[in-house]
Amino acid sequence: MLHFSPTEEQEEIRSLAHSLATEQLRPQGRASEKDGDISLALMQTLTRTGLTSPFPELYGGSGPIETITYALIAEELAYGDGGLASNILGSMMGPLTVALAGSEEQQEHAIPPFCDPQTAPTARGSLAFAEHTGGYTLAEITATARRDGDSYILNGSKRNVIHGAQSALRVVLLRGEGPQSLLAFILPEQLAGLRISPDLEKLGLLAAPSASYTFEQASIPADALLSDQNGVLRAATLYAILRAAIACGTARAALEYASDYARERVAFGRPIVSYQGIAFIIAETAMKLDAARLLLWNAASNWDKGVDNATLVRDAEAAQFQALKIGKAATIDALQVMGGAGFIQDHPVEMWMRNAAAME
Amino acid sequence: MINFTLSKAQEAFRDYAHQIAVEEMRPISLECDRSEKIPDTFFWNMQKRFWAGSAAQARQQGEERQQNVLSMLSQEEMAWGDAALSTAIPGPGLAAPPILSQGTSEQQQRFLSLFMDGQLHWGALALTEPGIGSDVAGMSTTAVLDGDEWVINGQKHYITNGARADLIITFATVDKSLGRDGIRPFVVPKGTPGLSVGRIEEKMGLRASQTAELLYDNCRIPRENLLAGREQSKKAGFKAAMGTLDATRPMVGALAVGIARAAYEATVQWIKEELPRGYSSFKRREIEDELEEMRQEIQMARFLVWRAAWMADNRMPNSKEASMCKAYAGGLVMKTTAAAVRITAPGETSETRLLIQKWFRDSKVFDIFEGTAQIQRLIIARRMFPRVEIP
Repeated sequence: MLHFSPTEEQEEIRSLAHSLATEQLRPQGRASEKDGDISLALMQTLTRTGLTSPFPELYGGSGPIETITYALIAEELAYGDGGLASNILGSMMGPLTVALAGSEEQQEHAIPPFCDPQTAPTARGSLAFAEHTGGYTLAEITATARRDGDSYILNGSKRNVIHGAQSALRVVLLRGEGPQSLLAFILPEQLAGLRISPDLEKLGLLAAPSASYTFEQASIPADALLSDQNGVLRAATLYAILRAAIACGTARAALEYASDYARERVAFGRPIVSYQGIAFIIAETAMKLDAARLLLWNAASNWDKGVDNATLVRDAEAAQFQALKIGKAATIDALQVMGGAGFIQDHPVEMWMRNAAAME
Repeated sequence: MINFTLSKAQEAFRDYAHQIAVEEMRPISLECDRSEKIPDTFFWNMQKRFWAGSAAQARQQGEERQQNVLSMLSQEEMAWGDAALSTAIPGPGLAAPPILSQGTSEQQQRFLSLFMDGQLHWGALALTEPGIGSDVAGMSTTAVLDGDEWVINGQKHYITNGARADLIITFATVDKSLGRDGIRPFVVPKGTPGLSVGRIEEKMGLRASQTAELLYDNCRIPRENLLAGREQSKKAGFKAAMGTLDATRPMVGALAVGIARAAYEATVQWIKEELPRGYSSFKRREIEDELEEMRQEIQMARFLVWRAAWMADNRMPNSKEASMCKAYAGGLVMKTTAAAVRITAPGETSETRLLIQKWFRDSKVFDIFEGTAQIQRLIIARRMFPRVEIP
């Protein structure tokens, strides 16, 4: 049956994420951009909420939750700050991928550090997805893993890997030998044939440190493979969904910020939002954001329902594409509504615009 | 719980509507468009099939409130078949919402029972005048109480089914100085002395749909034909007009989605079967990417429509969401059909291409009627900023 509002439980979690977003992420956004990372204090707070450890209780996690709930949380975090949300969720994708696709042994080893209150605030994971094309769709994965006896030989490159350099748990998505074969590996700490170079100057998402990988005939033992291929696909799809949610949150932040500004700012004796030239820009953004969010919710509920893989991937990538599009359009338009003030770094909108462009 | 899955009964109803579109509408679509005429057999067939459908529906659904969701599902299918024909399906049509929302139970019984006798009947809604569209406060058609009768004078135009309607909800002002508070809805039956049909418009698209001008010259109707609202409030008339639009916008959005989907599907089919051999794989890829984007946008439009209709069924105020879905779908259908015309342009003349061209012509009005794209944005903005006067 059709239904277009979250459950009460989901609303509660969302409102928790919302207060974190407005009280912590939003005020720290600019400083984190300057620091190039999230603060330890914020990670400690997040650890206490359990929002960043949706892993099996067996490993000390707060228990898996529905993807639709995760999409709601991600949107709220990004409403606070898209760079920090990317930082947080980018890190989580490492252990999440292991949880979805790894063996019991791999999970036992990889997940607990992200749950233990002592280690979780400093634990970082990563999932290497995008390549030279910059996009997060399965078709764009071309780096390869070729079986060679008890090892796999890795070749190709990865880009924009959030926490790619400093993470202790590095998961990488690669193409196997069949055309449909999508493989994920946990990279060992030291790997001959892998070059990691941190991204030094970036346009946006500066609060989420990232790196590029180059694999040249890198040989890793076969037991580094996450064996559940379907789980790998679901993890990759989840990343697309969460990125869509971050884009929606960024768009909403910009929309509301510009709306508040346009309500207060007076020109020619009237608030500028009373002019249709401004009001229509805002109405247009609100409409397209709602449209993209519905697409996102549809993709997330597909993930929860367990539809066939083709539909799952298609709808998640569609949601990601449309959300990134409105993320960029909304931030650019918000800046325009604010005029000169939007260009100045006293306001966060220019940062959000760079973040949205970097996400795309 | 957020859910995008239709119930089995809803799916069955949608499939039933689709069947009707395939069997009754597509085969006569181009001919009706050319001749601007609809054969009587179509009306009778639709009458029969919809009776059967709604009876089955009533049995399945019991008392569940999901009328809006069901209508929008059938509207999408009908428009997929032929949007012009869908406007001509016998029934109270646009006359129903004001009667249901502002009529007393006696009035509902009196006016709606007309549609239950198994004969062909239509309703119409007369709001637009040569001088006013969305700005209903500037209405010139007047109604004056004379003894036990209202005397209506004025002119209405762009009235769908105006010439064939058995009853016409006519909006008129009882006191121009009151602006929108002076507006009232009246039920004017066909054949009332003083009511006449003026010109029937020739249009770019939706050509088989009848768009009539109505002239009221000392047209006298019984006093009891005023739909005064259950609370008999002064604002009832304006509320009826606006309430009608809130209820019908998701339906118009659903129609737009139906046309867009038809154009998308036909283009996909055309690419499969007829894409010129000389096209490079790059060109083919470019077209496929554009089609995928079209599919996504149609999906978003559909979800916006579903949400607005779902809100209406659950008695949530949905004016902003109704405008969003209408504005989005209206823009989308124009974009989709224009792209379909462009992509299939190198093809041989075929029924598919003629249909695509027809859909392109049909679609423009979806950015216009029930409030233009600009009016929708104005409504959205006013709802977003309730404390700011946005003129």
